[in-house]
Amino acid sequence: MSELRDREPHASALPGARVSHRDIRAIRGPLLTVGGVEGVGWDESVEVETPDGLRHGLVLDVDSDQATVQVFEGTEGLTSGAIDVRFDGRPLHIEVGTGWLGRVCNGRGAPLDGGPPITGDRLAPVAGWPLNPVEREPPHEPVLTGVSVIDALTTLVRGQKLPIFSVAGLPHLALATQIAAQATSAGSSFMVVFAAMGLPHADIAYVRDRLEARTASGELVLLLNAADDPAIERILTPRLALTVAEHLAFEQGADVLVIMSDMTSYAEAVREVSAARREIPARRGYPGYLYSDLAGLYERCGRVRGRDGSVTVVPVLTMPAGDITHPVPDLTGYITEGQVVLSPEIASRGVYPPVDTLSSLSRLMRLGAGKDHTRDDHLDVSAQVLAALAHARQSAALAELVGASALGETDRAYLTYRDTVEQRLLHQGQGETRTLDDTLDRAWAALGVLPRQELTMVSPEMIARRLPGEDAGVRDG
Amino acid sequence: MRSLPSGSSAAAAPLRAAIHDRAAAAARATAGEAERRAAEMIADAERQASAIADRAVEAGRTAAQADAAQRSARERRRAHELQLAARESLRRDLEARVLALAVELRTGQEYPRLMDALRGEVGTLLGPEATIEEHPDGGVVASLGARRVDLSLPSLARATLESMSGEVAELWTT
Repeated sequence: MSELRDREPHASALPGARVSHRDIRAIRGPLLTVGGVEGVGWDESVEVETPDGLRHGLVLDVDSDQATVQVFEGTEGLTSGAIDVRFDGRPLHIEVGTGWLGRVCNGRGAPLDGGPPITGDRLAPVAGWPLNPVEREPPHEPVLTGVSVIDALTTLVRGQKLPIFSVAGLPHLALATQIAAQATSAGSSFMVVFAAMGLPHADIAYVRDRLEARTASGELVLLLNAADDPAIERILTPRLALTVAEHLAFEQGADVLVIMSDMTSYAEAVREVSAARREIPARRGYPGYLYSDLAGLYERCGRVRGRDGSVTVVPVLTMPAGDITHPVPDLTGYITEGQVVLSPEIASRGVYPPVDTLSSLSRLMRLGAGKDHTRDDHLDVSAQVLAALAHARQSAALAELVGASALGETDRAYLTYRDTVEQRLLHQGQGETRTLDDTLDRAWAALGVLPRQELTMVSPEMIARRLPGEDAGVRDG
Repeated sequence: MRSLPSGSSAAAAPLRAAIHDRAAAAARATAGEAERRAAEMIADAERQASAIADRAVEAGRTAAQADAAQRSARERRRAHELQLAARESLRRDLEARVLALAVELRTGQEYPRLMDALRGEVGTLLGPEATIEEHPDGGVVASLGARRVDLSLPSLARATLESMSGEVAELWTT
């Protein structure tokens, strides 16, 4: 509050002693135009006192002595003359602390679980700040998700930002929820903040059910912004999630995984608010600052020198019409450190999660996998699995041209290998958690269907040690 | 039609016997083959039935586990929500008591000095031209044009309680 009092000429030290404004000049949709204001800033937090109770809002625009306020709960039933608008003198702040753990809140942090308002150690602005690059430590050590395709081939590393690119109709929410339910790290404590943005109520019920165990054990914070909640609240939701996560990570020393689903809904809310602010639209109507807006979120993850915790971010994006050049995935791809791409074609073969392994990549995998991190054979076997899948894709293309029966023995082995990898390694139950050892052993078992001479990316010593031995003689042939 | 010469019947007896033996052997082989194939089919059917039963058991187990997990999750949630509701009830009780005590300040000896202090606050916030009225529950409300200040005792008590959320949380954390 001190900055407010410094700025306002007529401020009081008494809690609750704030000037309220009754000069309501217009009510349009969720927007209120308040006149006679002074010293009000953009994004300032607002309380709207109505005869039916308190509502909340945010300043969208200020023009001379007029402020445009978006009311989170809508303006239904409001009439000018019966409304008192109070400006907080600062953007939205929340109390941060361990009180968030095990709680279920809406997109602006108000409890949905019937409990009291969340209290914490101190107030923090939800807008936050990206980490100082000088203070950053490179990510290292894996976050194990229990999902084979991610752990084996696109390993998530503590402090990384790794988005999931999907299209409507694919099980990206199931995958994101599975990661939230299962993920662990080797650190002293592991926590998850799940920010749902623009989700239908049925999906929200699914997420709540699926993550109940983690909620009950006090390791999860659930922030739920439904599809019918206000757009401005959707803009706050990921910021709130990151603010809570930063405190848990950098002050409590926890490894925190932040899942943000769906960032496309978030970007659409940014576009909607930008239009309400009468800003000049850029690509596909999104504001020109979408890149820096997304970077302002994604760059809040990482590790800080001298502190134990980490913030790892997994945003989920649905690409409209599967278009990876759409501004949201396009700009996200510039900022993040790889991507997990889901494919309708793989989903049509009944594989869950339908990850397109050859389009997916974790750029920081080498920092968190292999000797001293996971298992000494991890990086080599992962490279071999991917190389063989690339060859299998060529064999499949050839089979479409000439027929599978006309293929040579090696190409047929690659087709068998692709099916084996999909069914034994990549395909997994939505409630199934696999250990990394199990995952890597499955990878070796799948490689076992290939002729030995095709295994060029793993050392003979590793082959002798890891490749299932009973078929070795046949493969040698 | 002429009949066979006498003695031919006896001569054909070995042939008949041989044909009969071959037919019997063929019948036995066919019966054996039929039995073998029937046994194979039965074994195959039993294998299939066993596999179907195994799959059904597995599907049933998975479904039951998922169902049990969901029931358990919902029960845990209900228990957690009861706990949270109890906390919220404690907070509301405290708020009601604080508001009641705040309203009682009206009858205290310090009330006139408190009112003077609140009028002073109004002056700071709205300036000396503000219209000041006493609130029915104690304290003042003031206005100047479209601007208004609510310094009633219930409002101030509520705001003070809100600013002390950490202390309020000690109701259930200690």
